[in-house]
Amino acid sequence: MATPQQLTRGQQHVEELCAATIRALTGDAALHFRGHRLHRGARPIPVHAPHLRVDSAHDDLSACRGAADGAALRLRLSDQDVHRRLCPADPVERLVFELLEQLRVESLVAPDMPGMASNLHRRFADWSRAFDRSGLTESALGILFYTVAQICWSRLNAKPVGRDTEDLIEVTRASIVPVLGPALAGLRRHRHDQTAFAPHALQIAGIVGEMICAAELEREESDSAGQDEADSRGGFSLLLDFDDESGEGIAAAASGESKAFVETAQRYRVFTTRYDAEVNAASLVRKALLEEYRSRLDECAAAQGINVARLARQLGAIFAVPTRDGWQFGEESGLVDGRRLAQLIGSPAERRLFRLERHVPRADTVVSFLIDCSGSMKTHIESVALMVDILTRALETVGVTTEILGFTTGAWNGGRPYREWMAAGRPRHPGRLNELCHMVFKPAERSWRRARRDIAALLKSDLFREGIDGEAVDWACSRLLARSEIRRILIVISDGCPMDSATSLANDIMYLDNHLKQVVARHEQFGEVEILGVGVGLDLSPFYRRCLATDLSQGLDSRLFADLVTLMGRRRR
Amino acid sequence: MPSAPDLMVSVRTLFGIDTDLKVPAFSMRDDHVPEIDDAYRFNPDVTLAILAGFSRDRRVMVQGLHGTGKSTHIEQVAARLNWPCVRVNLDGHISRLELVGKDTIVLRDGLQVTEFQEGIVPWALQRPVALLFDEYDAGRPDVMFVIQRILERDGKFTLLDQNRVIRPHPYFRLFATSNTVGLGNLNGIYHGTQVLNQAQIDRWNIVATLDYLPRDEEVAIVLARVPAKNTERGRRLIESMVAVAELTRKGFAVGDLSTLMSPRTVITWAENCEIFRDPALAFRLSFLNKCDEAERPIVAEYYQRCFDEELAQSWLRRPDSG
Repeated sequence: MATPQQLTRGQQHVEELCAATIRALTGDAALHFRGHRLHRGARPIPVHAPHLRVDSAHDDLSACRGAADGAALRLRLSDQDVHRRLCPADPVERLVFELLEQLRVESLVAPDMPGMASNLHRRFADWSRAFDRSGLTESALGILFYTVAQICWSRLNAKPVGRDTEDLIEVTRASIVPVLGPALAGLRRHRHDQTAFAPHALQIAGIVGEMICAAELEREESDSAGQDEADSRGGFSLLLDFDDESGEGIAAAASGESKAFVETAQRYRVFTTRYDAEVNAASLVRKALLEEYRSRLDECAAAQGINVARLARQLGAIFAVPTRDGWQFGEESGLVDGRRLAQLIGSPAERRLFRLERHVPRADTVVSFLIDCSGSMKTHIESVALMVDILTRALETVGVTTEILGFTTGAWNGGRPYREWMAAGRPRHPGRLNELCHMVFKPAERSWRRARRDIAALLKSDLFREGIDGEAVDWACSRLLARSEIRRILIVISDGCPMDSATSLANDIMYLDNHLKQVVARHEQFGEVEILGVGVGLDLSPFYRRCLATDLSQGLDSRLFADLVTLMGRRRR
Repeated sequence: MPSAPDLMVSVRTLFGIDTDLKVPAFSMRDDHVPEIDDAYRFNPDVTLAILAGFSRDRRVMVQGLHGTGKSTHIEQVAARLNWPCVRVNLDGHISRLELVGKDTIVLRDGLQVTEFQEGIVPWALQRPVALLFDEYDAGRPDVMFVIQRILERDGKFTLLDQNRVIRPHPYFRLFATSNTVGLGNLNGIYHGTQVLNQAQIDRWNIVATLDYLPRDEEVAIVLARVPAKNTERGRRLIESMVAVAELTRKGFAVGDLSTLMSPRTVITWAENCEIFRDPALAFRLSFLNKCDEAERPIVAEYYQRCFDEELAQSWLRRPDSG
């Protein structure tokens, strides 16, 4: 039986594959899945046609493939601006128009991509079956919509509808085809031209809209329709609701819009920075305790049996680039080394007179781990500390500079800034209300060997309080930017969204959340630092474009490290 | 061998490009003229750039991703003009002596004497020859300064070892091909390329870029190379193959893949199809095994789109799938 985390990981794989295919089909590098929805950059791409709404948590890869192909075709062959301009206002008409436009682009699939055509066909057939099975076709409204969808699909693709469907729609079809006739004829003829196609599609949408309006009026007049009809309208209306924000899967981080953040014109505020501190984490722990923690960490590492040398080789393959570095002397072949010619005369048997260029792998990279030290991380910290410790060791073996940072707050419930805010008469929009505590476990200048005892301070979990991610990411990035390495990577390890009770109370619950998004988006755009998110039992895709959901409850395994290596190895886009 | 071109030929008839241009050509072929490949398709822009190099004595550099047929393009233009063409592959170990010439020991009347033997540059410089530096960006920048002067049109070449100044033959031509534009290995796939000296890049009169061809042309090339596939079914197969190749190129451009299929790979794949009689197996052997293991599922997705068939590397067939 798969755990939820494993399911999430599988889901993430499916989404990555689909996103990669969409990117290849459209050539647009900014497309990716974020919180299970297709995004371009930070904006969601509207995918409203009902048969393209799949949920990677429940549907399998073939369904997701169909949806991905449909979305790719739509992005490539349909002009979003033209579509938006022509889109009717009535929700039913809009739905029909949306569906017809999607069916139009799907009928244009290239003949040299038979796999794509069959993915789309299968997706439409699956959707039809699900629609029928859900009982929606039993209402007058449902069967009308269903029939229109089937007829138009069959016209556009010049293919007959399925046998079951044919029986189902027979009656409705006979009654609406004469009305739709002329518009239907135009569909296939103009399918190559969006603007010529639109009038026909609008006509069909208009007719369907009118019929549904009429049906509703009738129902209102004759009150006998009863509960059933209203229920099916309820189910149907789900399809009409385009702007729903639902679709957060089981383990995705909840996220939304912050009013306070919008009201203050996207400017993040801090009530006071007077109590913020940046500390050396090891200084907060007694020396003897630190030794004890370190030995515990070492025991765990030994018990894990992770092959650090192998991990180092994999990381080396990612980060190290062969660079020319002087010469190698005393070779038996190569270029003649002039300084050894005298030696040749002195001892003619000597063969090692040549020199070769020397190439050494060099990794001009710095990797910084930023660990969320909020209260909820206490349960995971042992695994996280172990993972970071092993990765640090492996990275340093291949010459990558590493840094380990943590962030928490100096107090619970706002501490001194909160009391000051209360004393000042609780002004509106105070911004962040807590004492930041940024902890340095291992600065980049110190090697793992020298800092190994300090790293063990991670296990002192009573330092953990609340988490203000946005400012911490900014802080870690500014530390990285001060380094001279060419490639800078920040790995944020977190098990939840930003959380600070006082700030959330004084502003609103999404305030810190939106700031984190803003900070990450800014750095992603700037491109100097690559930010990767590692979610501990959580999908961080709403915040980070490149992220990994991990399951640390079962301990560490080489699969996890392989995933982490892949995450780091993926090239920047 | 005549020392000057003795014909004027029409570009329209020779290369099928819609222009009234006429270019000089030789009437006779000698040993250094490359063989004509009838299946070769010319890219109009690049062909005009190369022809400008031949007719107006311009130094032309052709840049493009691997497998686009840069060197072949220059050779095929030379072949049709009957212009002798010598191709030199540069690498990091080509030294100045090899390009310029060196003293070698030869036997004369039973006696050993040292004699100066000209390198490829002075040799070509004195003949009506097109000298083609292949993989120009693999040459070490300090060594490449040797050709700095002959990159100028009337630049004479001084042989320091001989106190001799060589005046280039009026029909000597110089070309180069490279993967990068001399800015080094930016996208991480051309290891061993050098960052070139910009003063030297500046001396190339024309830099033409050869990109991958439109789909129809690429299909035509593959069909010309593998005539056995020129049937209705074979053509459909090749079209799907080219579609996969295009997806890998776009996937590379957006950063999902670190390898891509060049037209050469597609031709190899089509040839391997003839051997193995199974497109999927041939695909695995011609391209998929060159890909990073982590990227294979993505390539399998591309393959599924174009062939409606699951590869063994597909995510659906992963070992732990339920």
